[in-house]
Amino acid sequence: MKQRFRLGVDAGGTFTDFVLAERDGPMRLFKSPSTPEDGTRAIADGLAQISTALGMTPEEIVSQCDLCINGTTVALNALIELKGAKVGLLCTAGHEDSLELRLGHKEEGHRYDPEYPPAPQLVPRHLRRPVRGRILADGSEYEPLNEEDILEAIEIFRREAVESVAISFLWSVTNPAHERRARELVERHLPGVFVCCGSEVYPQVREYTRTSTTVVNAYLSPVMGRYVQRIDRFFADLGARNPVRYYQSNGGLALGSIMRERAVNAINSGPASAPQAALYVAEPFSITNVITVDMGGTSFDITLAKDGQTKLNRNYDFLRQRLGVPMIHVETLGAGGGSIARLDEFGMIRVGPHSAGASPGPACYGRGGTQPTVTDANLVLGYLRPEAVLGGAIQIDADKAREALDTHLASPLGIGLERAAFGVHTLVNMNMSNGIRRISIEQGYDPRDFALVCAGGATGMHITGLAEELGIETVLVPKAASCLCALGQVISDVKYNYLASLPMRLDEEEDISPLQNLFAEMEEKGKDLLRGSGFPEETLFVERSVEMRYVGQIHECTVPIPDGPISTDTLRLMIEAFHARHEALYTYSEPQNPVELINLECTVGARIQKPPLPRLESGEEGVKQAHDGFRGMIFDDSGKRVETPVYLGERLRAGNRIIGPAAIEEPTTTIILRPGWQAELDASGTYKLTRWVE
Amino acid sequence: MHASPSPGRCDPITLAVIQGALETTQREMTLTLEKTGRSSVFNLAHDYSNALFDHLPEMILQGQDIPIHLGSLMPAMKGVAEFFGEDIHEGDVIYHNDPVFQGSHILDCCMYKPVFYRGELVFWAVCKGHLTDIGGPVPAGYNPDAKEIYAEGLRIPPVKLWEKGRRRNDVYNLLLSNMRARRNQEGDLNAQLGACRVGERNLLALLEKYGLETVRAAIAELKDMADRHMRSLIRTIPDGTYHGEAQLEDSGHGLGTLTIRAEVEVRGDAVHIRIQSPPQVPYFINSYAGNSMSGVLLGLMMFAQVPPPYNEGLYRCVSVDLGPKGTLCNAAEPAPHVNCTTTPMETLTDAVRTAFEAAAPERVSASWGHTSGINIAGRHPQTGEDYMTMVLASIISGAGATGAQDGWHGCGPLCCFGALSSGDIELLEYAYPIIIHRYGLRTDSGGAGRRRGGCGTVWEVEPIGHEMTVVSFGEARHIGTMGAAGAVDALPERKLGRLEIIGSQGVTAYHRNVITTIRPGERARNLNPGGGGYGPPWERPVEEVVRDVKDGIVSAEAAALEYGVVLDETTLHVDLTATAALRNRLQRKEVAA
Repeated sequence: MKQRFRLGVDAGGTFTDFVLAERDGPMRLFKSPSTPEDGTRAIADGLAQISTALGMTPEEIVSQCDLCINGTTVALNALIELKGAKVGLLCTAGHEDSLELRLGHKEEGHRYDPEYPPAPQLVPRHLRRPVRGRILADGSEYEPLNEEDILEAIEIFRREAVESVAISFLWSVTNPAHERRARELVERHLPGVFVCCGSEVYPQVREYTRTSTTVVNAYLSPVMGRYVQRIDRFFADLGARNPVRYYQSNGGLALGSIMRERAVNAINSGPASAPQAALYVAEPFSITNVITVDMGGTSFDITLAKDGQTKLNRNYDFLRQRLGVPMIHVETLGAGGGSIARLDEFGMIRVGPHSAGASPGPACYGRGGTQPTVTDANLVLGYLRPEAVLGGAIQIDADKAREALDTHLASPLGIGLERAAFGVHTLVNMNMSNGIRRISIEQGYDPRDFALVCAGGATGMHITGLAEELGIETVLVPKAASCLCALGQVISDVKYNYLASLPMRLDEEEDISPLQNLFAEMEEKGKDLLRGSGFPEETLFVERSVEMRYVGQIHECTVPIPDGPISTDTLRLMIEAFHARHEALYTYSEPQNPVELINLECTVGARIQKPPLPRLESGEEGVKQAHDGFRGMIFDDSGKRVETPVYLGERLRAGNRIIGPAAIEEPTTTIILRPGWQAELDASGTYKLTRWVE
Repeated sequence: MHASPSPGRCDPITLAVIQGALETTQREMTLTLEKTGRSSVFNLAHDYSNALFDHLPEMILQGQDIPIHLGSLMPAMKGVAEFFGEDIHEGDVIYHNDPVFQGSHILDCCMYKPVFYRGELVFWAVCKGHLTDIGGPVPAGYNPDAKEIYAEGLRIPPVKLWEKGRRRNDVYNLLLSNMRARRNQEGDLNAQLGACRVGERNLLALLEKYGLETVRAAIAELKDMADRHMRSLIRTIPDGTYHGEAQLEDSGHGLGTLTIRAEVEVRGDAVHIRIQSPPQVPYFINSYAGNSMSGVLLGLMMFAQVPPPYNEGLYRCVSVDLGPKGTLCNAAEPAPHVNCTTTPMETLTDAVRTAFEAAAPERVSASWGHTSGINIAGRHPQTGEDYMTMVLASIISGAGATGAQDGWHGCGPLCCFGALSSGDIELLEYAYPIIIHRYGLRTDSGGAGRRRGGCGTVWEVEPIGHEMTVVSFGEARHIGTMGAAGAVDALPERKLGRLEIIGSQGVTAYHRNVITTIRPGERARNLNPGGGGYGPPWERPVEEVVRDVKDGIVSAEAAALEYGVVLDETTLHVDLTATAALRNRLQRKEVAA
């Protein structure tokens, strides 16, 4: 870091988190309530807090930052609330309905539900306009482009006051000429209207995925453009040295000028930084396999990184919209502190997905909530300090929690209150561990090879139970757990993904020059952009991968490709790597059968120097100084309370060890050590939790 | 309203945890099958089901996979277990498709892996899927000219593919030698075995963790809970006998219209369903008992609307009589049957559905578009390899409207209930030498009603550089989708399915099942039906009709004739006076009728 500070601002749904990293100082955490209508107000509020804490003006702080980085939910919220731009779509005649058909499938879990609604349509049918002209799979033109159709559609778009135009034609990935011409016509006749093409936004095979991705981008980019303009100006006015960098769902940073064009790349900007942050805090422990878990008020986000590499999702449904662009794989469950526990139609206890949210919130908030939530159960179990005050506003009311649990669960089931509370805690842990299985076992990874990294303030109460459920032996809880995503943002690199499509069978005789050329083209494009932003050559890096499958299969495996020019040797290595990957995922491979290539991906990035981790002082006396009395806690189905010591984390020193059962309370996070666990505070500011045998 | 659990059997927490573990097991089996399968019917179309059975063998978990397999897995599992009796050992893997042994149709091949724990048979992991081809004279298995089951393809009565841990290469070879596209078929058998093994691995881990006794107690309790839930639903119906019936059209084979009748007899919390169908016919629309159970249970589920998960306890209060052997819905050897999973199953479902509609009118939705689709086959001009596939995109029909909302567009057919997936256009054009000129919604195809039925779809194809065989199957070309709660269609012909061949001589329309050939420059266009409407169409809010016209879902002409809304096609301006008068007239006409 050349400058004194770096600022990370993660604007979440409820809170905006701030991490201020200092070159030779501590990492500071701040929180302020989010202001979705104008994100700069929450940022101004946070800067005011930082200003007070440091005794410096916001201008002094911002002008001494090498980078100000923003993770934002603005695109996510626009998609959730369906408040994006009015979009018109130009598509291949005969295929106007692929967006609405969604491959003819209704999602699992609703098979016989008479009220489950169809997915929301971002473009109504009358604005999905057919254009004659046809390219075939091999890139040849079967029918020339009909420009009259485009002009007619443009007139409709003008009449309907369309703000944004998506263009997506069949096989534009093998020949984009028709899309390019359509774009020219739209730009000429509808100046000021946002326009994007499938062959630019997601140049890969799969028409439905590409059209949907392009439409989502057209829907969100105008909204993102307005947001970026506001934030850029806010920081520029405070004297920022560099343009604000925004966090993308691929785990990399991007300039506002890129975000304006590709809002679809920033939909899940928040949780995407978790694996980077986890790898960073795990570094002092030489741990490179991490699973991050982040429990918020309504949801539970899980991410995974193996061998120091984050995992990307491609071609997935997000909020019922199909997206292709690579996005850090985040498994999101409706299992948060506010998740409601109830008895279902069969009389079985269920936790979530319904949530009491922030309002009325859990019963114990005393804001009118009467349904028992996970937070209420944790309170009854003694995990939460009963006199705790949340954000200065809410006084916890333990009686309300008891009443809710008793009325809705304990009494109808004829079991004790404590057992019911433990049941809720166990079930939410089970939901979460099933989610972790989906991101690990279902992707071919054994969770026992990973360390669990705790994010979010409430997760620490579940973390040792979760680890037990999954057989995980090591847990890391950074003191910054509650702001882990903002931390991830200040340590991330700039990163742009380039995609291309090249369907071909891979055998010895095949001409591989197109493969080589496409990669070289993508690489140069990215490097030019980064050089233009002032990054020196030595900071640039390139990662390449291809998607391959056995001829006849539909689902591909992603295989990385080594650096350097692509030769027949590289080709052989690719094929070998594919067989190995297939075997790892699905227990078998078919080395005798032919393999084909479908899609290419090239990531071009620039490395940014990371701020250092804290260095805590050590001292034997810490444990004694930190001890802050006892609380009765429940750790098993018997419902029996165990007098359990409580420690104040701020008083612990590096090297201090706490034996469970115990609670460690940090200002923004609580860790419950179940019996059989121990915690040791590392000098880097992270607790390492391991099994402890007497 | 909650059915309260009975106390003292298995504690509620352990119960929920075990249920969750079973669901995860089933999902991981499905994932394995989908990701590794070769048949586009597996990996694109989701035409498969994975299930877990206990030692009895009763089904303890079925996924939310395809309803075609809803009822047939249970009798098939029992038939297979009974066939081998004591001769079932650790390391065995059994394969089977024969409808005479309770299979659905011969394309649906099912793998059964007994799971042993400490030497005792405890579970079965079961994986059923639609293979691309099963031999016989017509690629992809649908032979409308077959007069007997022997002319349809390979029948596999229960056989062991693995015996005590040893792969029986002779049996594998026998099966694969009788199928087209051998390499892909072997890939699909690998995928099915992978799925069963994943199931076995998870079930053993569950037993290790909780012990056999607890797991068994939990499973018994889960079945009891499902039983109590279904009984609580049946109890809402007044005691009595309710009648339903549906017509199956003459598909051009001189069989005439066939009527399937259903009687639903409710006594307290139990229901008895009686089916009456005409004698079996020398045409591939006969349904053997296993498949017919699926049709009956889908009709029941359209009433019960039970959320997942599903186990056999749900059906404990349900008894079914499929009628005498040798009838359309209880076929006997040698009846040909390959079309049965759609035809007559969907008509059978409608018969049961209408009986439940009589019993509980407020709960039952309109019917969904029946199957009217095509298979294609040919030789790839570049690779010289033969290809054949069922075109799932060609059967994606409209969903029925419910009391709560319009039917989904393009989500059927009835027998799949949204579980299918049509596959990406580009993936299909890459895999086969074809141009798909059209895949989209059909204007005016959705059933008219206060809640409109979803639109059916049209799929239009042209071969590149070769001659392509087109085989049509299913029905819905003469008899339309049934609406509910007083829905009526003034323009029924716009909602029906058909096959059109577009050649140099113009368009030829087929309203029956045919085998035909087309060349480059010619096209096959398949149309399938929309879903049924719900409630009288003249009660549909005018602004919703206007929105449908604007979106081309309903034409201006149909807006007037079906919905009684008079509007200007270009400006969408509604003539309110004329609309009120026309709606009044439509209503009176219906009352008079």
